[in-house]
Amino acid sequence: MTKNNIANAELYKETLLAGLWRENPVFRLLLGMCPTLAVTAAVKPALTMGLCVIFVLVCSNIVVSLMRNLLKPHLRILIFTLTISTFVTIADLFLKAFQPRMSEILGPYVPLIIVNCIIICRAEACASKNTLIVSIIDALGMGAGFTLTLCVLAGVRELLSTGAIFEIQIFALAKTGGWFEPWLAMSMPVGAFITLGLLLGLVNAATSKKA
Amino acid sequence: MLKIKHFIEQSWLLIVASFLFGLLIAVTNAGLDQKIRQNEKDKLDKLMKELITDASDFEKAIEEVPILGKKGKVIKTDIYKGVDDVNNVTGFAFIASGAGFADKIKLVIAVDKTCEKFLGFKVLSSNETPGFGSKIAEDEAESEDDFADQFKGAPAGKFELIKTGKAEVRKVIDSQIVAISRATVSSEAVVKIFNTYFEQVKGKIKELLQKKEQISNDKE
Repeated sequence: MTKNNIANAELYKETLLAGLWRENPVFRLLLGMCPTLAVTAAVKPALTMGLCVIFVLVCSNIVVSLMRNLLKPHLRILIFTLTISTFVTIADLFLKAFQPRMSEILGPYVPLIIVNCIIICRAEACASKNTLIVSIIDALGMGAGFTLTLCVLAGVRELLSTGAIFEIQIFALAKTGGWFEPWLAMSMPVGAFITLGLLLGLVNAATSKKA
Repeated sequence: MLKIKHFIEQSWLLIVASFLFGLLIAVTNAGLDQKIRQNEKDKLDKLMKELITDASDFEKAIEEVPILGKKGKVIKTDIYKGVDDVNNVTGFAFIASGAGFADKIKLVIAVDKTCEKFLGFKVLSSNETPGFGSKIAEDEAESEDDFADQFKGAPAGKFELIKTGKAEVRKVIDSQIVAISRATVSSEAVVKIFNTYFEQVKGKIKELLQKKEQISNDKE
């Protein structure tokens, strides 16, 4: 392996891991808060949203990276928005065709990916300045980080509001003779804010100790 | 000339990208449109089948019936008829919508073949508060409020909402509907949707039944 290859491999690894933890879009950059709060009442919709964001991120980063040398500075945001909205529309159509139930649950939050800051931020900060491979790896890392965070948040909320995770019953419900009384507030917006706040606090505490 | 050259230099990428992206969306839409429509039809058919249980097929009986909303807004809805294996009409259903607590509530409402009794309703889409307003979609097996069950077999006419009522009151099937406790707005919304739509749909269904009767009388 040449020095150049080793440096590249290191860069790819760094880029991929950045999205998962160091620059996690939700916990570290506080981007994409709208879907983070709105679709995390259960794991299934959160995972679907995460996968849609990965698809849009990867596709838009590919297109922006390929066009990066042709972009006029004053028109770049327009091109980014056009690119993102195209792939969001495609993702929305695929969801409607193959996952109609999820499409209904997610409702307007799929079209709203167009204004998700993570995607436009990665197009501007990474894809418009880097090669195709780095842009794809960055999109995968950021997308995976976003999806994992959404799933963790949704897991906590779904467990506390229904006693289940991924619709698999974990706690026996009181109405069926068990001990668990569902905490309905966790499936409402208030539950999203509380869980996100607590998780952000935990992440900050963990990282500040390390520092 | 210089201006045109400058314009093209600056915007050619945007124009080409717009064209290509538009094409991409058009191709995807053309490929998936049929499947999306089929999904919508399947869902509607499934809900209508749950309401008009003896129907084996559904077809549009009257298209685009104008419904006058509360604020003077006209909404159009289709009336479907359920038919059995020998093509006898077993009931009618239509989509009705109105404002709920959080968002629009869309219902499928069914009446029997004589348009005298409601067969009930199913929620096509809603975004009511989980655990409270969302109970409008639940029947007796799923919720102790059994809100939806109060409409099954009720006389086809105007409903009145009662804010509190014991289980025995809820069990009596009449034109009084007991609201879901802690979800009065959602309950009110459902009753309003019934009252707004049915008065206007009823006339059209009756007309259709009269026409059918006349045809069968003429044949005899």
